[in-house]
Amino acid sequence: MQLAVAMTSTRDLENLLRQSVEGNTDAFEQLYNATSAKLFGIVLRILRNRAQSEDALQDIYVRIWQKAGDFEPGRASIITWMATIARNRAIDIVRRQRPEADIEDADIDTLISSGSAFDQMAVADEMRQLEYCLNNLEDDRQQIVKLAYLEGWSRAELAERFAQPVGTIKTWLHRSLRQLKECLGT
Amino acid sequence: MTDRDDIDMLAAEYVLGTLDPAQRQSVEKRRSQEPELDRAISDWEARLSPLNAHYDPVAPTRDLFAGIRARIESTAQAAAQTASQQMPGIVEFAKIKRKLAIWRAGALGAAAIAASMVVVLLSNDVNLPVENGQFVAVFHRDDTQPAFVMSVDLETREVTIRPVEATMPEGKTYQLWIVTEETGPKPKSLGLLENIANPTTKQLGGVDPAMLRNATFGISLEPEGGSPTGQPTGPAIHGRLISVAQ
Repeated sequence: MQLAVAMTSTRDLENLLRQSVEGNTDAFEQLYNATSAKLFGIVLRILRNRAQSEDALQDIYVRIWQKAGDFEPGRASIITWMATIARNRAIDIVRRQRPEADIEDADIDTLISSGSAFDQMAVADEMRQLEYCLNNLEDDRQQIVKLAYLEGWSRAELAERFAQPVGTIKTWLHRSLRQLKECLGT
Repeated sequence: MTDRDDIDMLAAEYVLGTLDPAQRQSVEKRRSQEPELDRAISDWEARLSPLNAHYDPVAPTRDLFAGIRARIESTAQAAAQTASQQMPGIVEFAKIKRKLAIWRAGALGAAAIAASMVVVLLSNDVNLPVENGQFVAVFHRDDTQPAFVMSVDLETREVTIRPVEATMPEGKTYQLWIVTEETGPKPKSLGLLENIANPTTKQLGGVDPAMLRNATFGISLEPEGGSPTGQPTGPAIHGRLISVAQ
């Protein structure tokens, strides 16, 4: 039986996770069906290699199964919690050794210069707020933050692209992050 | 730059993903010991996670769930084997499916441990499903022998205590206690376990299920009629809630 996955609400996902905590693998499969495309999108964007991303995705869901009892609904949304586990795994892999890319590079300039991805969706307040604060950063600072977070770029990769010493990139990162924190006020 | 600043930037770069592998590993190790670092990481995750909206969903090309299912089921089996080796006395009614500790360290307040109490904490993170319960706690009298197994149904808020190896000394009775964040550090009595030959069921209507999940339960040996002081006076054993498979 196929569920209309696009319509799965946060509450549905939380219920499926709760059932998973109790050992229900069928509920966990439904959770996988409802969320795997989102998590795969994250991992593939960072690793740029389909085979490795598929291996990583399996590890990620095994980890989600193991950590299911740690999820605290008040702390983060379930999808944010799952996305964090996925991103962490992908970053761990890419930091150790960036896999050889076997898919086309995302068009980075389009990605970081336009808000098109946002325009198409109902943008929640916190997204608007973060976007506003990112826009307050100088252009290249904004780019390094997005390239690091979204694409998993290392300090060294950023240094090469922006033709700066690694130490300067670190300083830029810290300044940008402090500025973001202040702007967000949280 | 202050230490707090250093911690905050370390957390920020950890979340951003720009630390090298050794630094990432060190942060992961430290965060379980350092609440300030852990909190800083959670805060940065909250700040930056709206960026996740930029990730477009991409369907995996092949069905990966079969592989995931095989892995989680084999992990569960290994846990069950370990558990049956460690606790031969209770597996006969407990079909063990998976291992998962819900217990949060620190929930057992120091004040709950009166000087006269012998506290024995559950040492094995095993999962012991009981037919109609969702969570169980195992009360150990010593390192090896479980004395009671308690199952908790969060929906009906009922706890059922099944004696395993408990004996009742003459003129004494067992009393059940609960410690939750809600009720503070002093144990609250849940009543007596007068007949240890049979399971005893208690209603916990007034306790929030979320609190219940993180509660510490204790069983103490008291004079007949229960503790004269309203607090545990005799030797006590404590159990931790662990989640169970249905």
